[in-house]
Amino acid sequence: MALRRALAALTTACFLSLGFQSASAGMIGTPEFLSGTQRAAQLDQVQAALARADVQQALVSLGVDPAAAGARVANLSDAELARVAGQLDSLPAGGDSLLAVIGIVFVVLLILEITGVTDIFKKL
Amino acid sequence: MAAGALALAACTALPPSLPEDPARELSAVPFFPQTIHQCGPAALATVLGWSGVAVTPEALAPQVYIPGREGSLAVELAAAARRAGRVPWVLAPDFTALQAELAADTPVLVLQDLGLAGWQAWHFAVVIGFDAGREFVVLRSGTERRRIERWHRFEASWERGGRWALVTLPPGRLPASLPPAEVVRQLEEARGVVPAGAPAATYAAALARWPSDPTVLFAAANDAYGSGSPDVAEARYRQLLALEPTAVAARNNLANLLLDRGCADAARAEAARALADLGQDPDHHGRYRAAIEDTFARASAAPPRGCRPW
Repeated sequence: MALRRALAALTTACFLSLGFQSASAGMIGTPEFLSGTQRAAQLDQVQAALARADVQQALVSLGVDPAAAGARVANLSDAELARVAGQLDSLPAGGDSLLAVIGIVFVVLLILEITGVTDIFKKL
Repeated sequence: MAAGALALAACTALPPSLPEDPARELSAVPFFPQTIHQCGPAALATVLGWSGVAVTPEALAPQVYIPGREGSLAVELAAAARRAGRVPWVLAPDFTALQAELAADTPVLVLQDLGLAGWQAWHFAVVIGFDAGREFVVLRSGTERRRIERWHRFEASWERGGRWALVTLPPGRLPASLPPAEVVRQLEEARGVVPAGAPAATYAAALARWPSDPTVLFAAANDAYGSGSPDVAEARYRQLLALEPTAVAARNNLANLLLDRGCADAARAEAARALADLGQDPDHHGRYRAAIEDTFARASAAPPRGCRPW
């Protein structure tokens, strides 16, 4: 399933790059101008297609609705995909407000209390 | 009303008081109090709302929230901004950039780590202002409409968040703090995923702001060519070459356009000139050689017909 998706994405990437080349043979594109060679840019496209499938699968395994995951990765750029692929478990995921931090502090205090390291709550 | 807000701020924030200063605080930025784990959708709805997209955190959550992480990723906030028809721009990781955006009336979405003693608590908030003495920043954050943080505390939490900062702008509006090469780089990296028409609108704005920047001229020329306006592209390549005669990539592309409209002799002359200029700087421009040699070969083989106008 994932392999089929990756292959489909790869095929799309190949068609896209072919389309660009035949339409503008001999033209020097902006990505080449900015950095690297045309060959490197093409390799990036292949890697990005693989990264897109990888990130989509990781989102689903982290509980994202499979139907929504495809649309979500569709709006990530190749560079963004390359940066996050394989790291969805470890990248900063913003979600907690200060309340949650206070909750964490409370839990820490509670653990310390239960394990007998501190003796705060009995005195209160 | 101002007195009430002040009293509230005095109760909930550390600094004793900080009057709302319309000169340095974007008071019109909307506020969406977050629900548990939903600071990503709330912060995104805040900046999108400011940029003219009416959307609720609840509508954004299915696009950015990751249940298994109990939070949202920065890149997915950028992706969701694109889905909403806006262009996300990542700022340089320094407070000067943040201040420049605020001075241009743009609220800034930031990633903070509000954790303590090694406990990480990643949090998205929106910076909407700072005080005259630059001791405090004002944020839309969590359940607080007007959270005031001491600058050094904010900076420490922002530092731990990698100093990540994002603005979301309508297509054609440029971020105040980004230099031209960075505008081009971010736009080209996101080509294909930014809203349709955003590249052309952005390049039009970039040319207005930096009319003689070589990177902007070259990228804008390529964009015009790619979107079916070769006449505009030719004018931009010529403008760039007038400023920078050894811009071999522009000369190569100009040669191709000349060939497209039948000017074989002129195309061959431009390609030959590009090859000659390339020879003077083999290290820097070596990667263009194959493309320029190809252009020269096709120009040499083309039948000598007259030039057609576009």
